[in-house]
Amino acid sequence: MFIQGFLFLFSMSFFAVGPAIALHKASRWEEPTVTSTREEAIAFIDKIKVLAPSSSWSNIKPALFLENLRLNIHQPLSIYPGRGTNFCGYGALTYLMLQDDPLGYAKLLLQLYNDGKATFGKVTFDPSPEVKKAAGTLHFKGVLDIHPAEQMWFLSLADHFKGYLNFFNRKYDPGDEDSFWASVNYAKFNNMARKLLNYKVHAKGSDLIRPYTNGLYDYISEKLKTGIVVLYINNRILHKKKLEKIKLAVPTHFVVLQEISKVDDIVTLVYWDYGGRTLIQLSPHFLQKIVFGVSYCTKKEVND
Amino acid sequence: MINRMMSGLLAAVVVTGLYSCSAKNISSNYYYEHEKVLEKIEQSYKELYRQKPFTLAFTDKDFRTVSVEIITDSLSYIYEFTVGEPRLSDTLRKYNFSATGITRLIDLMQSIRCTWVNNFDYYVDEQKKFLILISIKPVALHPLLTYKKYYILTFYSQPQQFDEKGRLLDKRKRRRLRKINGEIFHRINDKVCYTVSGQFR
Repeated sequence: MFIQGFLFLFSMSFFAVGPAIALHKASRWEEPTVTSTREEAIAFIDKIKVLAPSSSWSNIKPALFLENLRLNIHQPLSIYPGRGTNFCGYGALTYLMLQDDPLGYAKLLLQLYNDGKATFGKVTFDPSPEVKKAAGTLHFKGVLDIHPAEQMWFLSLADHFKGYLNFFNRKYDPGDEDSFWASVNYAKFNNMARKLLNYKVHAKGSDLIRPYTNGLYDYISEKLKTGIVVLYINNRILHKKKLEKIKLAVPTHFVVLQEISKVDDIVTLVYWDYGGRTLIQLSPHFLQKIVFGVSYCTKKEVND
Repeated sequence: MINRMMSGLLAAVVVTGLYSCSAKNISSNYYYEHEKVLEKIEQSYKELYRQKPFTLAFTDKDFRTVSVEIITDSLSYIYEFTVGEPRLSDTLRKYNFSATGITRLIDLMQSIRCTWVNNFDYYVDEQKKFLILISIKPVALHPLLTYKKYYILTFYSQPQQFDEKGRLLDKRKRRRLRKINGEIFHRINDKVCYTVSGQFR
């Protein structure tokens, strides 16, 4: 009874997100973000040969930071949110940012590194002292261990943007990159995308109820023809971690879809997550089962 | 009187079953009982991975469905097969894997209910290093109501450091425990550690 009530309240809170986002979208149209090309970003970052140590980020090694930033700009696929962390939503967002405005990304991260705080559009990042101390020290997270720019950025995003999943853990303590402090619910992801990217984001789905479409495969493949599609999926089914028969039907992971096709009732997906592209084959029924959110992003036009 | 004694005895057996078969004891014993097969899995996976990177995972309780992740520079492919179906060998050959070697490895994994074998990268002083991670879902007594059902074994190439309680330490900061996926690992020998986890990966 209690759980049902709890779920009802939560589901109501997701539906309540709709109008708030619409209002925010309306205000964004007045001041569109200027975007850039990868060539511009490469020309900018390749000019920087040496970085001085940052007084704000005491555990970040300048040479490693610069190397990491260069890698992200030259190879956006390399973005790696870390093993065992809850950074996947921030990883997907960063991957989109590197497609949308790589020069903006480079300047933002350098400003954050040099000054300890930075402004991007209407968002001002002013990370807490705990986050500043932690960046550069995360370890046993795969290649994220030696990517201090990504550590700084993901921690700053988690510190700044808050959703209902972060309600009980709002202040960073060591190890919180793996906890609810870093979690990203669907509304929070779309909110971050609308604030940081020069995209119109049309979101379908929620944290508990799967999106209603007249055929999910057709809907996704149609959207992918004209824009970028981010899928919010239940990775516990796709990438099993337990052999239990009863599995919690909740989404846990964000992937950026790159290709989708169907042959003989087998759907093939190619998506970006965790520093590379993955191809997976599944039935249309399984696809329906794992997808909880479809975020369709298109570039804003001049008149937007 | 006899009934009461029997009930007492039964209760004692249950309590002993619940508390003496701690997951910790089972898992270190487990390694020694299956040492030869585990080492064979580790060695054969290491050799096959060196030829071409991949991971294997069983995704069902009956250990009949195996998920193969084929890792290339541009793309990772994830396919699921029923063990023994011709499609598995065909696919392995298509990607230039040793179909015989991987089929043998799958059989070994199946024989000891090994759920996952993977090559893990980690960094010490910014240098990339690797360990082999093997997860097992043993059929053994577990304390009731526990959610930790998988033994995770890690095989390092170099001897590791441990504290006085046999817990794995981080090399960079000798007094800091090294956690993998949030779990503390314990010493089996200088190069092999174990933990008991709620997830196999």
